[in-house]
Amino acid sequence: MRVARIVAQGIASSVRDAGRPGLAHLGSGRGGAVDLDSLRLANRLVGNHPDTAAVETSGGLVVELAHPTLVAVTGSQVDLDVEQGPPLGWGAPVALPAGAVVRVGRLRGGARCYLALRGGAVRAGWPESLDVGADATGSPSDAVAVPRDLEVAVRLWPGPRLDWFVDGTWGRLLGAEWVVSAASDRMGARLAGPALERSEHRELPSEGLVEGAVQVPPDGQPIVMLADHPVTGGYPVVAVVDPADIGLVAQRPPGAPLRFRRAR
Amino acid sequence: MRLLPYGPRALLAEFTSLGEVLGAAEALRAAALPGVVDVVPAMRTVLVIHDGADPALVEEALRSGGDELPAAVGTVRVPVRYDGPDLDAIAATTGLTVDEVVSLHCGATYRVAFCGFLPGFAYLIGLPAQLQMPRRRSPRPRVAAGSVAIADGFTGVYPADSPGGWHIVGSTQVVLWDAGREIPGLLVPGVDVVFEAV
Repeated sequence: MRVARIVAQGIASSVRDAGRPGLAHLGSGRGGAVDLDSLRLANRLVGNHPDTAAVETSGGLVVELAHPTLVAVTGSQVDLDVEQGPPLGWGAPVALPAGAVVRVGRLRGGARCYLALRGGAVRAGWPESLDVGADATGSPSDAVAVPRDLEVAVRLWPGPRLDWFVDGTWGRLLGAEWVVSAASDRMGARLAGPALERSEHRELPSEGLVEGAVQVPPDGQPIVMLADHPVTGGYPVVAVVDPADIGLVAQRPPGAPLRFRRAR
Repeated sequence: MRLLPYGPRALLAEFTSLGEVLGAAEALRAAALPGVVDVVPAMRTVLVIHDGADPALVEEALRSGGDELPAAVGTVRVPVRYDGPDLDAIAATTGLTVDEVVSLHCGATYRVAFCGFLPGFAYLIGLPAQLQMPRRRSPRPRVAAGSVAIADGFTGVYPADSPGGWHIVGSTQVVLWDAGREIPGLLVPGVDVVFEAV
């Protein structure tokens, strides 16, 4: 097994694959990368199966490679620097020699990026080191990825408990400029804005949650469920983010604005 | 049954009793419809997560469930040491002796109604009426994995160390959640559970 040394762990760094869907009835959510599209893109660039594990990080990660390795970085735009090797840019695979030190610096615009290594990242040894797997399944891409616009409005569907809120709530959700709060994490993106007001004050028996569900706790500030969300919850779900746009929510850093638009 | 919108990849079916929930969830699982990714029962609802399943077929399967508790899909036996720190308090609250609390708890056959709270945490129904009580006024910051506990009309087993507000009656060595297993959870919705005093 080839080993890469973690020189600095950085912010919120961890090894994540695509997670395990289909276990909510056993009490377990998907887990895995919060921005699945970016994980899959990084893997395709280096010729891995799209669901292979990579390193998810919010910056400050420094990795020293012990062996020649093909790597790619996706997700947020980010300051990248390589010592003892050729330059590495966003969204393009680069073959780095043994001894190269990859510095994933400050994020520019998004909340997370993904460092994929050809063969996959294996958690053993984390956070001191990680093993580089040997299960690359395809050829590396020679394409350069096109960055997503991370600031477009997020598509929204009505949720099962929209009618537990006062008239005009749907319009308020779509019309407001929300701000992503610093309390957001892998469980959910917490939004600050006009308080959503309930018309139905009964207690809700806990019910199933999906990724992208917009739950509203008593303070009226919505929370968008992300990869590590609990599988059930007792706050009403007012709306649901379109599955294709969950990565956009996951990429909004604290303090960033977020707008919704009708999914259809 | 009432069907509520939940975006393009899910439906939420709402029922008036837990019996209807369990009947509908079991009927939908048994129908094994293409495109159904997960069937998540809860107190009054069944969440259907899908990847392009035919909503008409999903609705038909859910409606075929009836409101009787369906036959169990299997039985899991869980050996328990009845050494829980809350046995005396439960006895005091219920007016029973500790021995009576234990024999009531291990004398019943339970059913996994649904899971939640933690991976592998199953809410078991069938708790004898004498043992039904609200959760502790103040939750413990840490309950050990394997703790067998009761609250709110349910009994359950903590699959991992976690904070917890249920009354602990005993402990088991059984592993409730193992991510390496094909089905990581031991107590899956629809199975019967019997606690055996050891």
